[in-house]
Amino acid sequence: MFALLKRDLYLALFSSSSFFYTSSFFVLVLIILPFLFGTNDVQLQVLFKGIIWIGLSLSILLTMDRIFNADYEDGNLDIIFQQNPSLETIIISKYITHWIVYCLPLFIVLPILSFLFYVSLDNFFLIFLNLFFGSLGMVFIVTFVSALTLGAKRTIFLKAIIVIPLFVPFLIFGTNLESWPILLALSMMSFVLSMYVSAYGLRLYVE
Amino acid sequence: MNELKIEDLTCYRGENLVLKDLNTKLKSGETLVIRGSNGSGKTTFLRVLSNFIKSYKGKILFNDQNVLEDSYYRYSFNFIGQKNSLKDNLSVKNNLRLWEIIYQKKISYSKILEEFNITHLIERDVTSLSDGQKKCISLLRLNFTESKIWYLDEPFVYLDEENSQKLIQKIKNFNNNNGIVIITSNINLQNTFTNEIKI
Repeated sequence: MFALLKRDLYLALFSSSSFFYTSSFFVLVLIILPFLFGTNDVQLQVLFKGIIWIGLSLSILLTMDRIFNADYEDGNLDIIFQQNPSLETIIISKYITHWIVYCLPLFIVLPILSFLFYVSLDNFFLIFLNLFFGSLGMVFIVTFVSALTLGAKRTIFLKAIIVIPLFVPFLIFGTNLESWPILLALSMMSFVLSMYVSAYGLRLYVE
Repeated sequence: MNELKIEDLTCYRGENLVLKDLNTKLKSGETLVIRGSNGSGKTTFLRVLSNFIKSYKGKILFNDQNVLEDSYYRYSFNFIGQKNSLKDNLSVKNNLRLWEIIYQKKISYSKILEEFNITHLIERDVTSLSDGQKKCISLLRLNFTESKIWYLDEPFVYLDEENSQKLIQKIKNFNNNNGIVIITSNINLQNTFTNEIKI
């Protein structure tokens, strides 16, 4: 598992644009806000709580093809299967890598953005907790959808249609600052579901 | 001395019967060429042997042990499929590094690139390479494991005469070191490898 994890992180490092693109996409989505709604403090704070979830959802959704599909298309998935007998370790490794590469950059820029949007320190920590637990659950969801749709080409819209409704509970509870325990519970449920469904999807590919 | 035995192998893909009652036996130092028309099941045969496809009838035994029950079998073979397993947006060197990590084996890049006289490609992006050059690099994966069997799916596709001869020599060297090789191919290799079955 650690070899696969290391390989995926190196792959992200070699194509270093991954880190840069995700965080800059997130920042750009947020920067549009003051142009649309003005610079009123209170209004921006309210909008910030919602729009960060849209930024996070899009960042995770638009990169879901890189979880399994990229390796499937170039043939690396065969090497991964041969070197890792357990599908579960492959899936867990993909969770970790995808979160580090596509979610962690958002958490790095989050303090600066919170400051720019006049978010208080107390609220920042609650937003951070919500995003942290929510992002885990969202990664679990895109992983199993990615595994189930393995081999299907140019289906980003189909995947979006499957994924977005599954993101809705995270978005509903994510905008409520006190609801991080619910997000944690949702993520734990997503993990259980994701492990089974992802393993099933990968097994279908192998067979 | 290793032995790979295939007994009454039958495999369906969906409703289609792809492999029917295949029987063969290979010992250390032998190469088997699988020939057949497009869609005849050559790749399926190699994927069954590589334990990717596990739903089949019959038995595959490696040293008298069923490969489905042998957890160490995966260390015994190296499967090179038709896809090159190369990341297009990376250089050859970075692709080799990724293989080094996943196979957990350090290797001298210049030494293995020398095999196909492609040392000069090391810094080049894979996108800028020809299909033949990509194939040569893909075949370098054979150096990343200490396997006893090679499963090669259409290894001669895109290779020019010179590199094809180098690959043949590499296979023969592997045979001389007691390796077993199974190759699928559309081209006639009977002058080079006598052991051939048609499916």
